[in-house]
Amino acid sequence: MDGPLKELAKLEKLTAGASGKGKASIPNSLDALLESLREAKDAIQPGTTVSPDLLLQLSQTVDLQKKEVEERQREIYSSISRLGKALDKKFTASLPSYPDVFTSPTSVTALERTVALHFLRTGQFDTAGIFLQEAGLNIDPELRAQFIDLHRILQALRNQDINPALGWVAKNRAFLRERGSPLEFHLHRSQYIRLLLSTHPPSVMLAISYAKETMAPLFFTEHEDEFKRLTCCIMFLPLSKLQTSPYSDLASPSLHFDLEPLFAKEYCASLGMSRQVPLRVVGDIGGGGALARIEKGRKVMRERKSEWSQADELPIEIPLPPENRYHSIFACPVSKEQSTESNPPMMMGCGHVVTKDSLHKLSKPGGYDPLDRRVKCPYCPAESTHGSALRVYF
Amino acid sequence: MANKLNVDGILLFEQPFARVPYENYRKVFRSTQRNVERDLKAVQSTANELVKESSSSAGVSSEAAIHSIDAMIANVENLKRKLADLHDTAGKPTQDVVRERLQHLATVENIPTANDPEFGRWADTRLDRWLVDWALRNGKEKTARMIAKEKHIETLVDIDLFSDIKRIEGALARHSCTEALAWCSENKTALRKMKSTLEFDLRLQEYIELSRASKRQEAIEYSRKHLVSWQETHMDQIKQAAALLAFRPDTMFGRYKRLYDPSRWTTLTQSFRLAIYSLNTLPTEPLLHLSLYAGLASLKLPACYVHATKNVDCPVCDYGGEAGSGSSLGLGKLAEEVPLSHHANSTIVCYITGKIMDADNMPLAFPDTGYVYSREAMEEMSLKNDGMVTCPRSKTTCQFSALRRVYIS
Repeated sequence: MDGPLKELAKLEKLTAGASGKGKASIPNSLDALLESLREAKDAIQPGTTVSPDLLLQLSQTVDLQKKEVEERQREIYSSISRLGKALDKKFTASLPSYPDVFTSPTSVTALERTVALHFLRTGQFDTAGIFLQEAGLNIDPELRAQFIDLHRILQALRNQDINPALGWVAKNRAFLRERGSPLEFHLHRSQYIRLLLSTHPPSVMLAISYAKETMAPLFFTEHEDEFKRLTCCIMFLPLSKLQTSPYSDLASPSLHFDLEPLFAKEYCASLGMSRQVPLRVVGDIGGGGALARIEKGRKVMRERKSEWSQADELPIEIPLPPENRYHSIFACPVSKEQSTESNPPMMMGCGHVVTKDSLHKLSKPGGYDPLDRRVKCPYCPAESTHGSALRVYF
Repeated sequence: MANKLNVDGILLFEQPFARVPYENYRKVFRSTQRNVERDLKAVQSTANELVKESSSSAGVSSEAAIHSIDAMIANVENLKRKLADLHDTAGKPTQDVVRERLQHLATVENIPTANDPEFGRWADTRLDRWLVDWALRNGKEKTARMIAKEKHIETLVDIDLFSDIKRIEGALARHSCTEALAWCSENKTALRKMKSTLEFDLRLQEYIELSRASKRQEAIEYSRKHLVSWQETHMDQIKQAAALLAFRPDTMFGRYKRLYDPSRWTTLTQSFRLAIYSLNTLPTEPLLHLSLYAGLASLKLPACYVHATKNVDCPVCDYGGEAGSGSSLGLGKLAEEVPLSHHANSTIVCYITGKIMDADNMPLAFPDTGYVYSREAMEEMSLKNDGMVTCPRSKTTCQFSALRRVYIS
């Protein structure tokens, strides 16, 4: 943005009314004009005929100052144009138009619903209320209450109060256990460390009894190693010593800060919702280069006058960061086709994987039973039978 | 690499963001220009008048001269005040908005990677801006104002522009062209550059209304005044308009019936919207639509629509917030309208850890059932269970050492 910002700075200077480079600014010129007018007025003797010279002079001053002002205006005008050109240079591509996308009534409702949930999920309850009213949309009040609950608990966590979170955990223990979630242990661990480190004076005894009475019955068998570490770290108090000990990870503040995202993730998962805010994820991908790439791909296709063979698939690959890879994709190294239910990935004896169709094409003729046919792996010297190939599930 | 910011891709969306306040500033300048021209011209002609009179035989009396000079002083003082006012209330604030927005864009140019927390905040604001744009275009003004206020992004969104659009479109809906014509004259040069014929269409409509009301004389005068100047480009339409006077509004004759058709007002509203959007380089659809279109297409896979391979974290697999309802009510519904993503290379994601498997974290398959998991996940499981691993999907159990290595080339 350097170019446009530079032009803007020039424009700001030009219009600020300060005179520069020996030139009068517009207010200066107007002041000069006013002064000349007042001088002329004072020079006039009442009750006489005014000398034509005086008036001629006055008229010339007016012309002169008017020209000055117009000159300045022209400068401002060309400065504005230069700023416009700098913007043109910075923004060379214009946005494409997809006029029919998301306009059907079902899509409109789907998007409104998505936006409403976005407001709720990000804790913008007032905005959500107004929006639901304006859109005439209904969100299950129970779901709404759950989001309010979520934000109440997160707020408490921010204030170092783990009790509301524990209350929720107690109600959802089975769900969390099935997911193998460390949430409950992490909540207690945070509380334990807080007792150990942040209370003045440090209440070691309180921490130990917390560990013994609250934590041990819940976690001793499941998190034995970690539990031992928590008790052992007491030997390295105070904090400054702990930070340089083998237990320094327990002294890190992230132990407490990470609770919020972890809790939000588990809470959303219990509602069948994603760990990231979906509108942000999709918007960031779309607004982070995907649209530019799609448009470029389309343009290339148009220029080559070739139609993409599969209209319902993008003509180019959009690179995605690892955290946005939600599904396994198997593209057969032989046929370059993506695997499907009817053309699944098959692992040969040597461990290399190709799709089923490719496997058929690779197998050598001979034998009555096709499953006995031999297949030479295209990627290593191994040969195996068609029948020994194993369907794999990613 | 994939996490490096694609600045060009980001800026593709941002031209209107910079252009709208720029156009606003041009408007401020034009009204400054008009004031300067009008007032100084008046002063100049008064001065010339005085000179002319003084050279006549009678000369100019001191009273008359003082009277004229006072008028000139008042004129100049008035102009000075108006210019200062315009600069303080419109010029400077608009420049500030341009600066703020350019700086906002400069920030993103200097963020190295998408993982930077600074980018997270920037992208949050961007989504809020898109939501405001979307809400304004869909007539949800209160929501838009609320977001802008809560997030303190009033200067980063164009609520005023859309209130203008709403005001002018409201007038068109009441069959009044006045507001739209005023807007046209404010943006005359830009519209001419765009070769927009909006002004002619509005003028023609006013003419048609006069004809509908049987005010033939007025219609002819109106045509002379406002339509004839377009004769180089619109001769046919002007001729047709002239002939219209011979037909009554209930005529069944095709081309004249079409001119009297009230649906022309809807068309006018659409052309107005198109003109004001393209003047500000705003796309015809909400920015949110464009980013969602591209984002969903990048993510969409056949696997999103197969129950067994749905992933709760995937936005396309989204159930719209009602777990277990089966059909998608949210982004998944929208994704039905976009093409599938294209992939020439395999990416194998671990069902357990969600991590991508590669040479350092090899995929391992259960020997009989063929279910594949990452080495990391299997090792962790075997450490806890004395070297035994259990497939979470098929529930089969075997020794860690019995797992087969899978090679994905």
